[in-house]
Amino acid sequence: MKFVRRPLRASHDWHPLAGEALLERLRVTGRPRLQSDPDLQGRLRGSLESGLNQVGDAGPDAPATGSGAGTPPPPSSSAVVVVTKDRLTGVLACEAHHVAGEFGDRPPTPAMACGALVDVLFRQLIAVGSIDDPMADGMAALGVDDRQQDLVSWIVGLPSAEREALRAEVERQADGLRRHWPALEPAWLPRTQESMRVGLAHGAVELSARVDLAIGRPAEDEASVALVEIKAGARRVEHRADLHFYALVEALRSPAPPFVVATYYTRTGELDVDPVTEELLVGAVRRTIVGTRSLWNLAHGAVPRRTPNSLCGRCTLLPECEPGQARVERSEAAWARGPEDGR
Amino acid sequence: MRPEQLTRALMAPPVGYVDEACRTQLRGRLSRELAPLVGRLPHRQRLVVNLADLRRARERPDSLSRQQEPFTWKPVFARRSLGLAVVDACAGGRFRSPAEAVGPVASEAVEEWERSGWRTFHWEPWFAGLDRGARALVLSEAVTWATSLWASFDWAAFEVPPRLGGGDDQWVCPDAGAVILKGRSELRVPVGTTGPEGPGAEGAGQEGAVHDRSGADGAVPVALASVASGRPSDAWAAELAYPALVAALRSPSRPVPARVAGLWPDAGIHLVVDIDGEVLASAVDRVVATVSAMVEARRLPQPA
Repeated sequence: MKFVRRPLRASHDWHPLAGEALLERLRVTGRPRLQSDPDLQGRLRGSLESGLNQVGDAGPDAPATGSGAGTPPPPSSSAVVVVTKDRLTGVLACEAHHVAGEFGDRPPTPAMACGALVDVLFRQLIAVGSIDDPMADGMAALGVDDRQQDLVSWIVGLPSAEREALRAEVERQADGLRRHWPALEPAWLPRTQESMRVGLAHGAVELSARVDLAIGRPAEDEASVALVEIKAGARRVEHRADLHFYALVEALRSPAPPFVVATYYTRTGELDVDPVTEELLVGAVRRTIVGTRSLWNLAHGAVPRRTPNSLCGRCTLLPECEPGQARVERSEAAWARGPEDGR
Repeated sequence: MRPEQLTRALMAPPVGYVDEACRTQLRGRLSRELAPLVGRLPHRQRLVVNLADLRRARERPDSLSRQQEPFTWKPVFARRSLGLAVVDACAGGRFRSPAEAVGPVASEAVEEWERSGWRTFHWEPWFAGLDRGARALVLSEAVTWATSLWASFDWAAFEVPPRLGGGDDQWVCPDAGAVILKGRSELRVPVGTTGPEGPGAEGAGQEGAVHDRSGADGAVPVALASVASGRPSDAWAAELAYPALVAALRSPSRPVPARVAGLWPDAGIHLVVDIDGEVLASAVDRVVATVSAMVEARRLPQPA
């Protein structure tokens, strides 16, 4: 088992933010904080509602319905379409890949195990201010979570060399958390795994998010909440869109949007910060409408469209997917030609 | 609804009115309608009905026929009672916020159990036996739950300190003894004893009319608050009326709760229902429908 590490940063002088500097980076975004504005909230909701007004209708751009070859049957049409950041990202990347990944339990992987362990260790650090033995603490926490029983069994059953590799990576990331994350003032009401839900289209659609860390008293007059997502894996471009989705859901359920959304990468200590602006929220609305329409259509029997993308190489449908195979071949050829010719 | 608005709305003088005749009628209706349903229950089985059952019977009736797993403590089960104790400690001025309170409150509970053997929350032995990482997860869950309640109200504005948690209200249906209704609320607070007249009362409709709402023993009506996950259904008013219904049935000498606030922190939604005869009747409808669904689920053959 290997944890693939890419170069952290081009500059050797770069160091992760720590302590007060990390907090300051979250607090001071350089942009004015949005005010509590029922009109803005109304416009965001109105745009979503009108964008989803005809979900399920067979408009000119609606895909043909039917049962796609090699794809599982869609869920019942009576079910609420739940839109999460992962479902949104997945369906926008490729509907067929999304549908293939929706059914059945995904087999555990070292990255999944590391992510789950680091998530609970981060919660521990926020709640009690310290991490003792990362692997022991993390396994104890996963052990009382019903949803993690398969993962716990899988970790326990790992050959010792692989378990040691996992332990080493978890300890390295936990050490980074300890060194970089300051104690959060209790008066800022830090809370972990906060659930957020917004109903749309008369309850037929639910936007759902669970944020790793929320800081700040819920907004009244001015945006006052920071949302932070913790990632134990590599930095990916879609993480930014995930944050914007969180900002949108919070803006719809609270009097004011969050003032900032951020991703903290425990592997490197990088912190990506996005100040929340009206433009960011409007962009998130557009993306959410497009993704939700796809999810709705799939839930109502549409044939999943195949869209070649960077995930094709890891897709279970690849052996039967011509566009995906062509994409992988092009990609491999580009790598073989070297970085000069690579696209 | 902002914290000060919700607090004001909860503590406002009562606007609905439920007289004794209405209460008697509700009790009689439940007895009449539940008895034949319970007659179809397998021998000597009892049905305990709570608000979660009302919601499940309407939204996921198939889940009623699933066999219940034997109870074991989990972080999500402990978070409510620990979270309530945490908010109570904050409201009492001992701590500034749930994050500060949760560790000491949990430790005190365990110490008290170790010293006296008394389990205030029932989870103390389980919690004490957990490893450090698992204990931290329990505390994290409780902080998140408690913070949503703590941030929902303007605690300084309560004229009388609210009671947080406490025992469930319970009512055993006299003609259908196998049915036990349980009502639970997270917060209860006394509200004004005077307010506009209720329907049918002397002086009803006259401007400025007031009515003494205190109970036989001088008890003042209370307002309840109920916290739920997810989003409210379109039948939220009847669901919120359920804990008021059970409180009204359980203790005929005490005034019927004046109102119930529902908090759905996930959705950022706070709704308030003023309790009157009509909304209590809608709660009775839901109880009858729920018991019917639960009885049918019990009659289905269970997997071996």
